Amino acid sequence: MKTAQAGTVESMDCLVTVSEAEPGTGLVLNLAGSSVARFSKAMEKAVRETLEGLGIRDLAVSVQDNGALDLVLKARLEAAVARLKEGGESA
Amino acid sequence: MPKNILGREIPEFIEGYGETQPFMGASARKPEGNRAGPKLRATFGDCTSKVIPDLKAAIAASGLKSGMTVSFHHHLRNGDYVVNAVIDACAEMGIRDLTLFPTALFGVHKKLIEHIKSGVIRRIMGSVNGPIGQMVSEGGMDVPVVLRSHGGRPRAVVSGDVKIDVAFIAAPTADAYGNICGSQGKSACGSLGYAFTDAMYADCVVAVTDNLVPFPAAPVSIPQYYVDIVAVMDSIGDPAGIVSGTTRITRDPLRLLISKYASRLIEASPYFKDGISFQTGAGGISLAVTAFMKEAMKKRGVRGSFGLGGITGYFVDLLKEGYVEKLMDVQSFDLEAVKSIAENPNHIEISADWYANPWNAGTAVNMLDVVILGATEMDRDFNVNVNTEADGALLHGIGGHQDTAAGAKLTIISQPLLRGRIPCVVDKVYSVTTPGEVVDALVTEYGVTINPRRQDLIDACKEAGNVPLVSMDELIARAHEMCGPADPVETEDRIIGVIEWRDGTVIDVVRQLKKK
Amino acid sequence: MRLRRTMLYLPGNNPNMLLRGHLFAPDGLILDLEDAVAVREKDAARVLVRDVLKRGEFGSCEVTVRINGLDTEYWRKDLEMLVPLGRLDGVRAPKVDDAATVRLLDEALSEIEEKAGIEVGRIKIFCLLETAKGIFNTYDIATASPRVAAVIPGGEDLTADLRTNRSPEGTELEGIRRSVIVAARAAGVDALDTVFPRITDDEGLRRETEFIKQLGFDGKSVIHPNQIPIIHDVFTPTEKEIERAQKIVAAAKEAAERGLGAVQVDGRMVDAPVVKRALFTLTRAGLLEEGTEHA
Repeated sequence: MKTAQAGTVESMDCLVTVSEAEPGTGLVLNLAGSSVARFSKAMEKAVRETLEGLGIRDLAVSVQDNGALDLVLKARLEAAVARLKEGGESA
Repeated sequence: MPKNILGREIPEFIEGYGETQPFMGASARKPEGNRAGPKLRATFGDCTSKVIPDLKAAIAASGLKSGMTVSFHHHLRNGDYVVNAVIDACAEMGIRDLTLFPTALFGVHKKLIEHIKSGVIRRIMGSVNGPIGQMVSEGGMDVPVVLRSHGGRPRAVVSGDVKIDVAFIAAPTADAYGNICGSQGKSACGSLGYAFTDAMYADCVVAVTDNLVPFPAAPVSIPQYYVDIVAVMDSIGDPAGIVSGTTRITRDPLRLLISKYASRLIEASPYFKDGISFQTGAGGISLAVTAFMKEAMKKRGVRGSFGLGGITGYFVDLLKEGYVEKLMDVQSFDLEAVKSIAENPNHIEISADWYANPWNAGTAVNMLDVVILGATEMDRDFNVNVNTEADGALLHGIGGHQDTAAGAKLTIISQPLLRGRIPCVVDKVYSVTTPGEVVDALVTEYGVTINPRRQDLIDACKEAGNVPLVSMDELIARAHEMCGPADPVETEDRIIGVIEWRDGTVIDVVRQLKKK
Repeated sequence: MRLRRTMLYLPGNNPNMLLRGHLFAPDGLILDLEDAVAVREKDAARVLVRDVLKRGEFGSCEVTVRINGLDTEYWRKDLEMLVPLGRLDGVRAPKVDDAATVRLLDEALSEIEEKAGIEVGRIKIFCLLETAKGIFNTYDIATASPRVAAVIPGGEDLTADLRTNRSPEGTELEGIRRSVIVAARAAGVDALDTVFPRITDDEGLRRETEFIKQLGFDGKSVIHPNQIPIIHDVFTPTEKEIERAQKIVAAAKEAAERGLGAVQVDGRMVDAPVVKRALFTLTRAGLLEEGTEHA
């Protein structure tokens, strides 16, 4: 299973880890960190929108959040997906 | 369900609290009747020492029984050993169902959780922070906690709402006859302001000291005629946790920016003139505001009258350099403040009653021009929440928030708009601590937001020309745009916390968090 | 006349600074993809900077990006991803050694601007002179393209190339600063000073800023927001300077209305350059809107 990461756990950032998923799995999302208590719906929406924009259906996404705005979450996810496409690392 | 004047749903009766008086407005409730009082006691010439070296023996002698109310003060802050030691001893002695009535609790008191679970403590009237707050929020106590301000607490005592059976007073220095001094000894903490009312109104007062000196101890914070028993411990606290070293002004650029805007607001206000009085506390932003204000005072030749509240070395410098004439100190935060209160007659130790109680003949906050306060959130109506965190858990006490806001002519809340993704402005705060009618302005990194009822301040800022004004509507719109919509906090119906306004009416209640 | 007293570096992989930098109201921002970003983070930083530029909220700051060096594989990608967004005012190029480097960058910018439908020539170039060769070629570099807005001597890299190091007194940079000023003025571009690295040394920063202002520099690069108010303070004209500038501007206006060529203020002749200087003083004092025309 290939996996890739982007981002940090610094303030207002998040660390996004993506792993390949079997076709048909859809999005497997795991959210953790400071914003989750009140913003999990918004975070999930940001993840779904980004993956839709990138044309990806099946992916495991794990977000370790430290107060990232949607813009940052989306940028980190996009960077992580790009890294995965370029090979990623075997986990 | 009945609603108070702010539209908060407050049941007429709350299990474990009793009948409620709904909040009616900041100064609407007028007291009736006389002050309550402690039990009379007599002491004669055959008693020349009140020392009982052993803590358990002292507790036994105090007459403390299961179901009673015990009080503590928090001047030893996170260095305090006394609360844990007394409750541990009670547990060993088989005393249960206590009501804990501290002026505040700190992280060091998380040990109390085991005593809550085992039934030694049945109820807490006071702030619940950190792990205890989390436990209470999740439904870990049978009886709701009651949150009161530094002024609301002595009000509750003198009015008889709360009857203290035994007050345990951590005493950095005491003599055998119970004269207590806060500014001397290895555990010196400076002012003992929060303990005064407890000493005067408890049925039994136990001084707990680690520095027993020959009679008479001097200077005296709390005199011998209030104190029944002097107990001795090896150490009442860890000096490193009691006072901090030199309190430094933040170098965090965001906080400095907010401080700069806040000080410009103060400078533009009609209160920035000779005789100005202010309270800024010890937080990063507050201290920096004081530094900017000092610069402005120097530039414009303004001399202040007094600094109030929790005192830091920075305020001591202001006193020494003549920027203020007096310091009125209810709590000394650092070594410089402790040293100053011991030596400087213009650095005055005041009680919480003197500081903030609305039900006496005149309290210090009424003479205050400007106060800088924090908040976890604020809403369109300028109502402020300091008690619950974004996730709905109880996390902070009220402190002097309500009292200084109600008393000061200019109440400023300074807070970054965003802590991570969590905004400090919302449509409606999750719980109200302080009503918008006593809050004048919010200062964030985006500028100064003034309560529309203070058109005079808006005009003054416009005239000054260097205060960036931003309306509450703009600020909330900006927060929405950046953070997106927040999910609601999910709660049970059960009330786990009651937030009293300083006059004893209920301004809001806090409900148990739903299990995730 | 654009004020460039302070241009603040924002690390390109740091969301906190990228989103908040403008709040500290520097005159300009430098979203940094070069030294502040580790090689393995170049890709992620580029995506982040792109999205922050798309959001576009920078107050009234001039917005620039420090791209990776023209001797690396990254700089074209940097430009291709960021220039078409149309939000950038300029590009700060590291290690510019000669005019050819500027021309290479100029051509690449023109190509991208054209493709993206952006006015060709809109994006300005800020040249970092970080080698002895670059300093030696300052005038040629500054005149290599009409896009060049400023030349900026380097700090650490430059002193290393000179086989010395940075001292608190700045002895090693003194001659360089003087020569850069002359070349910049001759070429008609701004001269911006290098960063002051000791971020807690407020007094040292003030001294250095006073020195470079006296030399003639227009401003300084900034690595910490707390440096901004100090530099602005140094560059803010004194009340006496403002008063005199206001007198000059008023006299010039009156002369123009009455159709007179030259005027006198306090017994001294005032000609066009003096009026221009006075207007600039008022701009620095915040008494004139930037970019407004004055008769």
